[in-house]
Parts: sequence; structure tokens; C-alpha cells
Amino acid sequence: MLGNGLRQNLTGYLVVLSGLLMMADLYLIFMVAPTDAVLGHVQRVFYFHVPIAIMSFLAFFMVFLASIAYLVRRNGKWDRIAHSCAEVGVVFVTLALLTGVIWGRPLWNTWWTWEPRLTTTLILWLIYVSYLMIRSYASNQQQAARYSAVVGIVGFVDVPIVYYSVIWWRSIHPSPVVGPFAQASALEPIMLWILLFSFVTFLILFSYLVAGRTALRNSEDRLRGIRLVLRRAGR
Amino acid sequence: MPPANLPFLFAAFAVTWIAFFAYAFFVSRRQQELRKEIAELGGALDQQGAEDVG
Repeated sequence: MLGNGLRQNLTGYLVVLSGLLMMADLYLIFMVAPTDAVLGHVQRVFYFHVPIAIMSFLAFFMVFLASIAYLVRRNGKWDRIAHSCAEVGVVFVTLALLTGVIWGRPLWNTWWTWEPRLTTTLILWLIYVSYLMIRSYASNQQQAARYSAVVGIVGFVDVPIVYYSVIWWRSIHPSPVVGPFAQASALEPIMLWILLFSFVTFLILFSYLVAGRTALRNSEDRLRGIRLVLRRAGR
Repeated sequence: MPPANLPFLFAAFAVTWIAFFAYAFFVSRRQQELRKEIAELGGALDQQGAEDVG
């Protein structure tokens, strides 16, 4: 386990690094990336939208792994990691939906359409919002950890469905630009490099947010423990 | 030339930044509040221990 001082230093480095990388990323997106010949400037949303969506998949994959580890080991550390990743994942998937909706409006002439990618992503959002609600409504910590671990494992089934939705069903959403079904010529090399830079940037930001949320969860558990001791002592 | 659609571009980036800043701010402020509360209650716990020993 990392000590408190080391953890605070690490979080500090991550926030500075993600700030610097984000400034460089904005420069690359607005000053270096070519303007799309068909979609115009609004296509630059792509450099944020795709990494944000992939980071939400990563978050839910971590929830999936940590939930399995919790059910096998019954160690609260895994529950804390799963909970933190789920909350950060909900932030990312919410932004993936919002940036997608804003980007889609000028292209599809509608804010929302019930096409496979959007619908499966909305279901993904609902699953992990339910995960957080189950935690809030559970009568004790053990119950919250156990029930949410089951949702974290079963809910992950939707992640590959979201990815493959544009391949399995007829969709107006563009085909994948990363992963096993990405077309080799989908992007110009300069666009691909800027997209990779955005991935690294958002990965650092994601790490910072997960580290911060996990530290907060540790403090919440510690405070709960102190309150319990004081209550038992009759104070 | 394709339409620029700059308001949509601005809206997408603004929403992203505001959401990340708001979330990071919420986590950081809550952490500060909890640390303060832990320090106060930890003091009460130490006092309790000293009284028990005394």
C-alpha cells in the first residue's frame, strides 16, 4: 500500500501532468489537426469524444476486475477501487454521451436518435448509475459492496455490445477507429497521432480522478470507523 | 467549405471542461472537509483514550 504522503505527491504529479498534457492536446487539436473536408471544424470534437468513450470502457473494465477480486477475496480494498472507478466511469460515459449528442446535432440534424450505438451507450450509463444508487440505498457497507460487485460484473456485458453495435446492426454512427474492427485507412497519420496523444492525456486525467476518488473513499471509511468507535464509547 | 458549426464545437469542449473541473473540485473539497473532521474526531478519540488510561 502507498503511504499518505507518497499518494498525495503522486496525485499532485498527476494533476500537473494532466494539465500540461491537456494544454498541449488543445494546441494539437486546434492548431495542428487538419480541418475535415466534409464535416468542418466540428469534427475536432472527435479528439475528445473518442478517448473519453474509451476511458469509460477502461473504467468499467476495472470495475469488472475489482468486483471479481472483491467477491473472491472479500477484501475492502477491491470494493474501494471498484466504487471509485465506477463513479469516474459514470463521469466519462456521461461526457461521451453529451459530446456525442452535441457533435451529432449538426451532422444528423437531430439531438438524439435511437440508433444502436447511442441506445447501448445510454443503457451502459443507466447500468452504472444504478450501480451507484444500489450503493447509496444499501443498508450497510458489506451489502453495498456485495450487491454492487454483482452489478459491476453483469453490467460489463454491455461494454462489448456498445463497441460491436455499429458492426452487428445498421447504424448511422461512424465505424470504430480503434480496436480490432478499426479500418487501417480510417484516419490520416497526423490525425491518428493526435488521437493517440489525446488517449495518453485522458489516461493521465483518468488516473488522477481515480486516485483522488479512491483517497476520498479511504477517508470516508476512516471517518466511519472513528465515528463507530466514538459511538461505542458513548460520546 | 463545410459549415464551421463553431457553437457546437465550443459547447462540446466547454461541457467537457466544466464537468471535469466540477468533479475534481467536488472530490478535492470533500476530501478537505473529511480530513478536517477526521482530525477533530481523532483528537476526541485520543482524549477518550487518555481519560480511560487516567
